[in-house]
Amino acid sequence: MKIVIVDYGMGNIKSITSALKYLKVDDIVISNKPDDIQSADKLILPGVGSFTKAMANIKKLNLDKILHEVVIENKKPILGICLGMQLMGQSSEEDGFSDGLKFIDSNVKKFNIKNLKVPHVGFNQVEFYKDYKLYKGLDNLSDFYFTHSYQMHSDQNINQSFCEYGDKFIVSYEVENILGVQFHPELSQTNGLKLLENFIKNF
Amino acid sequence: MLRKRIIFTLIYENGFFNQSRNFRLQKVGKLRWLEKNYKFQDIAFSLDELIILNASKKDKNMKLFAETLSNLADDVFIPIAVGGGIRTMDDAKLLFDNGADKIVLNTVLFTDKALVKELVSVYGSQSVVASIDYKVIDKQFKVYIQDGTKKLDMKLEEYLDYLKTLNIGELYLNSMDKDGTGFGYDFDTINKVIKGINIPVIIAGGAGNESHLISGLEIPDVNAVATANLFNFIGDGLAKARVGILNKGMNLAKWK
Repeated sequence: MKIVIVDYGMGNIKSITSALKYLKVDDIVISNKPDDIQSADKLILPGVGSFTKAMANIKKLNLDKILHEVVIENKKPILGICLGMQLMGQSSEEDGFSDGLKFIDSNVKKFNIKNLKVPHVGFNQVEFYKDYKLYKGLDNLSDFYFTHSYQMHSDQNINQSFCEYGDKFIVSYEVENILGVQFHPELSQTNGLKLLENFIKNF
Repeated sequence: MLRKRIIFTLIYENGFFNQSRNFRLQKVGKLRWLEKNYKFQDIAFSLDELIILNASKKDKNMKLFAETLSNLADDVFIPIAVGGGIRTMDDAKLLFDNGADKIVLNTVLFTDKALVKELVSVYGSQSVVASIDYKVIDKQFKVYIQDGTKKLDMKLEEYLDYLKTLNIGELYLNSMDKDGTGFGYDFDTINKVIKGINIPVIIAGGAGNESHLISGLEIPDVNAVATANLFNFIGDGLAKARVGILNKGMNLAKWK
């Protein structure tokens, strides 16, 4: 299986690669080349840092068009992690306003509750009520590792799961081939490895 | 519910890992030795996070440090925060590329505000941890930089206010007096200074046993407890401590 980790210059790709190796994925490619992305069985969109800067990098590399082609037209499974999950939504309030890739109907805003420590850092429990394929074999309220200052919301049914910190927000979605997790499965011990294994096997 | 965290701090010096005793380093072994004797990958399953600090005195040799980090990061599926000697954007990039999920800054917080701001802007505040080494002298909290060799004129309280302006993601508060003693955390200082800090706080320095970790975790404003005590906790010490702490009903993550 060929998994391409989309490289747009922002993200701790090493931990993701290490987790995929551990799960015995034989062909792991870190790339932003159209050929690699088009020939992948599955894609991972990683990312840490600024939404605005990430979108600028993605556009500069023409990745928005390539990703649209393979994800929306060809329905290739893609997993967005942390910022990667947010980027596939409509927009973010970060640095004012920034458009996303618009694959998913969601918006991102800053944590804004008095006396709440931001960023939201550490393991937190994820609530999922349906049998999402991403969480197969995992119990509701399993712990995953988070580190972020912006949170996702949506009025639509995007098969979302939730987490509570100050308020309740979306921490994963599963819309056909388009998947996103706010937490870092590659940094979430056996729970995270299980989720990545589900992405490899169930999509 | 957001869990509290137990963090292990590995002190690295010129290719070796050390046991720190009041900031004096005692050489313990190389990475191979650490793996062989302590099966580090197994120990990581009792931890929420790992911090690796480069305490090499003369030459930080970032390249060798990054290599060691890269080897250690394989098969460790928890966040790794790395610091010691970061002076440029390239230093930070080298560490991020070799398995760091966050960077830990200390001296540059005071000496190079522009660098800190750039790091925060490029990697996000959640990727930047501020480490503070402090001592209590005549009942006053004094901050030290440059591996604990240079005392600042600023008081700890003022320094904390100053750090608020840098938009950093987390705070690592290390008592140099308690460091490596195994006598317990410096709760007097911690309780006095951490109220009102609006970012997650990790306390370090002094933990020698399970009950010290528990006392730290019980403080509402403490988000994580760190220990660098290789001898007391490595082996199955930490695994046993975690089970004991969970059995007391403390709010820690569980994984299958």
